[in-house]
Amino acid sequence: MRMSRPAWTARSLALGAAAFSAALFLVFPVTAESQQRAGLPPAAVSATTGSVTARVVDAANAFLASLNAAERTKCTFDFNSKQRTGWSNLPTGIFQRNGLRFGDMTSRQRAAALALVAAALSREGYQKVTDIMNGDEVLKNAGGGRTGGRPGGRGPGGGIRFGLDEYYIALLGPPSTTTPWMIQFGGHHLAINVTVVGSNSIMTPSLPAAQPAKYTLNGQTIRPLGHENDKGFALINALNAAQQKRAILNYAVTDLVLGPGNDGKVIQPEGILASELDARQQSMLLDVAHEWVGILNDEAAAAKMAEIKANLPKTYFAWSGSTKNGELAYYRVQGPTVIIEYAPQQGDVDHIHTIYRDPTNDYGATLVKP
Amino acid sequence: MPLAVLCAWLATVPSAGAHRVDEYLQATRLSIDLERVDLEIDLTAGAAMASKVFAWIDTNRDGEISAAEGEAYALEMLRSIVLIVDGRPVRIALVDTSFPKFRDMSLGVGTIRLRATARFPAAGAGLHQVSFLNTHRPESSVYLVNALVPANPRIQLSDPQRDHAQYGLTLDFRVMAGATTPLYRAFALLELVMAGWLLLRFGYVLAYDVARRLRPSRLVVN
Repeated sequence: MRMSRPAWTARSLALGAAAFSAALFLVFPVTAESQQRAGLPPAAVSATTGSVTARVVDAANAFLASLNAAERTKCTFDFNSKQRTGWSNLPTGIFQRNGLRFGDMTSRQRAAALALVAAALSREGYQKVTDIMNGDEVLKNAGGGRTGGRPGGRGPGGGIRFGLDEYYIALLGPPSTTTPWMIQFGGHHLAINVTVVGSNSIMTPSLPAAQPAKYTLNGQTIRPLGHENDKGFALINALNAAQQKRAILNYAVTDLVLGPGNDGKVIQPEGILASELDARQQSMLLDVAHEWVGILNDEAAAAKMAEIKANLPKTYFAWSGSTKNGELAYYRVQGPTVIIEYAPQQGDVDHIHTIYRDPTNDYGATLVKP
Repeated sequence: MPLAVLCAWLATVPSAGAHRVDEYLQATRLSIDLERVDLEIDLTAGAAMASKVFAWIDTNRDGEISAAEGEAYALEMLRSIVLIVDGRPVRIALVDTSFPKFRDMSLGVGTIRLRATARFPAAGAGLHQVSFLNTHRPESSVYLVNALVPANPRIQLSDPQRDHAQYGLTLDFRVMAGATTPLYRAFALLELVMAGWLLLRFGYVLAYDVARRLRPSRLVVN
């Protein structure tokens, strides 16, 4: 069969293009990197309605209005100051916080500060925060606890100090419905960092902890992190043997891996992938995560939970220790936009540390451009 | 000493007490790159251990940790680590140290921070393995060791394997083929364009030549 010159030209062009494509593929293979990029979740953002931000800004301004000039100076920082990462779970006397100390406030100022915290958090979250604070008062009255240090010992200002007076509040940046600012509230066993950027609120990193993990107040038994404990144990016991084999690490984890000072770090995930769980187990895992996410106000928490749910197939659940509730166990939830650790301290189930991070958006990093 | 022998020896070491008060927490994070492993080592002595740990470091007993004492202790600690990449031990070099005040250590919260790095011949595309073992003061220590997700997207880690007490960790990592720098990519693209053009040109000439041969030859009549 004879072919015209244009036809041969077209065929050789096609042949060349195919060869070129093949060469291109060999030099630029489809790597996991490019696949990961394509599959990356959208920027981690917890959107709140404008009215929530307005309410929080109003509460912040009311608190600031309750202070005199010197107190305001002590309590306020630049948004980009080092204060942003200068938080800790340690008690006064070991870690010196900046900001305004509750023990130095009038009752009116305390009420305004707590009203600000309440405005930024959910009802349950605020309750959790106050349960942790009251627990520290119990710890103070008990003399410092078995593994919590010795009150009245060494340290600036006369040693380690526990209790309600030792919580601090600081505001970074002027409260605003448009520009970024931050509420930093904490003390022993508590570090709440809420970054507000326009209609968005972000509560990572934060560290809710508890010692004692169970106490009685006004005749009522309080377990500040009781749900975190019980839901974790319920989930591990809801897994079948094969799933437990995947989830339970064959080694002891004696502390938080990504505690304070480990901003921006992401460890290699371990445990069982949520995609290997059935719908009920996945729902239980989300419920575990909600114990931390739901500390923040409902609107922001809902947006964050939607994001975690969307990333659920890439989220891991890892467990170390006993599966019998009441005994020592550590667990971790790790997904593309969330890391949660639950870690009893020093072999003591009455002393729990936890951490809640978003490796992509701690301190609202995706929303706050330097 | 082979890792297996060290692990067996460590298994015989009595475990430390149940409370961090009398434990020495040694937390290590490994960051793996194509030519090196960076080590972040955080050492926190429990309150009841602080005097003992301080005495290991403050060798002249003047109540202060001098730069020389700090470095000597850091190097001693690093000598207790065995790091093996692709079956070969690699030397760990100290990069930085920071030591807390004794007051903080005595409260059980002062953390000694050591930063170190180990270099090895560049890992090419394919499967590799890193093994880490910490044998520093096992009689009174508890351990954490984790690998950080590599900053280099060409490196993919497998599930790490550990002993129960986390003395050590072994993990495979795969280096994916691919260009590393934008400049490299630009040159590679240029080469591809040239190769593509040559291929097209060659294809065209070849096709034209074949077509011409297939045509019936013309009779030339004088």
